[in-house]
Amino acid sequence: MQQLFDAAMFGSTLRIMTPILLAALGGALCSRVGLFNVGLEGLVLIGAFSAIVGNYLFGNVLLAVLFSIIIVMLFSALFAFISINLKANAIVVGISLNFLAAGVTTFALRAIFDVKGAYYDKDMVGLPKWDIPLIKDIPWVGDVLSGHSPLVYLGIVLVIGLQFYLFKSVSGFRLRSVGENPIAAQSIGIKVRGIQYGAVLMCGVLCALAGAQLSLGQVTMFTEGMTAGRGFIALVATMLGQANPLGVMGSSVLFGFMEALSIRLQGFSLPTHFTLMLPYIVTLVAMFFFKDRTYAQDALKAGGSSR
Amino acid sequence: MNRVKETLRGLVQPLLAVFIGLIAGAVAILIVGGNVVDTYAEMWKGAFGNFYFFTNTLARSTPIILAGLGVALAFRAGFFNMGAEGQMILGGLSAALTALYLPGPGWFVCIAAIVAGIVAGGVWSLFAGWLDARFGMNLLITTLLLNYIAIYFGGYMVSYPFKDRTGSAAMAQTPMIDQSIWLPKLFQGMGLHAGFIIAIVAAMLIYWFTHKTVTGYEIRMLGSNPSFATYGGVRRIRMMMLSMVVSGGLAGLAGAGEVLGTQYRFLDGSLSSASYAWSGIMATLLARSHPLGTAVAAILLAALQTGAMGMERNTDVPLEVGSVIQAVLTLFVSAQIGYSFLKRRKEKKSNATTV
Repeated sequence: MQQLFDAAMFGSTLRIMTPILLAALGGALCSRVGLFNVGLEGLVLIGAFSAIVGNYLFGNVLLAVLFSIIIVMLFSALFAFISINLKANAIVVGISLNFLAAGVTTFALRAIFDVKGAYYDKDMVGLPKWDIPLIKDIPWVGDVLSGHSPLVYLGIVLVIGLQFYLFKSVSGFRLRSVGENPIAAQSIGIKVRGIQYGAVLMCGVLCALAGAQLSLGQVTMFTEGMTAGRGFIALVATMLGQANPLGVMGSSVLFGFMEALSIRLQGFSLPTHFTLMLPYIVTLVAMFFFKDRTYAQDALKAGGSSR
Repeated sequence: MNRVKETLRGLVQPLLAVFIGLIAGAVAILIVGGNVVDTYAEMWKGAFGNFYFFTNTLARSTPIILAGLGVALAFRAGFFNMGAEGQMILGGLSAALTALYLPGPGWFVCIAAIVAGIVAGGVWSLFAGWLDARFGMNLLITTLLLNYIAIYFGGYMVSYPFKDRTGSAAMAQTPMIDQSIWLPKLFQGMGLHAGFIIAIVAAMLIYWFTHKTVTGYEIRMLGSNPSFATYGGVRRIRMMMLSMVVSGGLAGLAGAGEVLGTQYRFLDGSLSSASYAWSGIMATLLARSHPLGTAVAAILLAALQTGAMGMERNTDVPLEVGSVIQAVLTLFVSAQIGYSFLKRRKEKKSNATTV
């Protein structure tokens, strides 16, 4: 037990949690404006890939992340255009966006790097590791909190910032009103489409960051379909957190912890199949315990959905 | 006459989608520096070039048709069943285990294995439906999560308890199924097996079910207007369970067909790496959940996949061009669903102003 739950384990929880948290915050923004974004998975995948491409092209991590943000914003603009302007069912568009992401990344992997399945360059520099002064010298806490990539800290800062923005600022109030009742929002002069576009594009930025953390955070590599359902888990985190930044953070911590635990358990003599299954089972169980009725109603309001 | 016109109009949009997909593919080919016309010619040859390639395409389309039909039925009822992959894997696994361990004459075991596949897929799908109906857990998400659980469970079963220990290779797979149980091949020396006939019959049956029976009508009504359907006395939960069971059963049948007709064993990852289930979902989206259309779209997607393989053999263009075409096609169709809606609304508006 002692060697199972040590500081390194909680440190890796923070690191693993970050892509889920960032994508889930993006999902929360989308659902606050009344769009259920199933395309998170695809957007994160594109983010991870374009971060690697940016790093390969510019040899600079900052530019790589910027490049990734631009590319993912283009794809999220596509999602916004089809689901907002053409009024297509957002779920169907999200599903096809995931197909598009899988197709484009595997093709570009072949076209740009001429490899199949995975790209790895040992000379590529990943995201820097930040040591937090003072905190890093506290014995246990330092090991957990210090020495992560900037995106890990950015994720936590964004949670607080978004919580404040959504619930304490006028602009955040307007954004929420678009999701609550678009017609009422429009009647008092709020530009509904503009705000929806803004939220979807911001979601693209967050998904790009999530992808960059995945591909440049620990090891600098890209493998086909490397998101492995994290975008969907982020979707669950959004739902469980009721599209509330602090709640989203709570559920992301839970999923991050479970994944860290499943990686740690591989060192024990358990079949890896079960340890790999663990995060998905816990996600299901979490869905069972924290049901969100308002979501069901939103989905009903939106018409064709799963419920 | 009107009917013919309607059918023709229904065909224009899919053809336009295919055209747009091919343009996207042409751009992709140009990016990697290939010759568009030559590449597409090779692709055509790879899919339909001779009888062998043609039957190969049909063989590949078999699981896609079946999985797609299942998804189409669930979509028609308004439920996003994304769990075809997991249902297919459990179906294939149960079929393989039944074929290996059930005694009896070959034809009997074969049928029993197919039934086992259908039941396993149906139960796994029903489980997700039950979670939604009973506990209000979002079906789209649970089916996605159950996929991963099924994949790892299947992997475990053939890595430990039912692993083939006779061969020299350390592959995670079951032993080979006895030859008497195999689904018969339709032509000597070709990959196409009896599963294709089952798939076509299934497509017709589902068409008949959704378009000519009362229950099918209720399912379609539930999908297109839930409130109206409830008002009209459609029992939502019952229809949901029914459509999920049939949907999962078809995906399970797809897995069973692959195991009994092509691979003759359950090999870990072989069903998911070919992404039959996801192609099935694409086919459903392309055909807008029409059963016969789904079968046609499945053959088209299979042709794109086998064609891309042929293209890679004979040119320098990577086969991933095929997946770009498929993805753009699907995205375009989903955008089109919105566009036609928009047009309808505009017409209404103009009517209102002229009056």
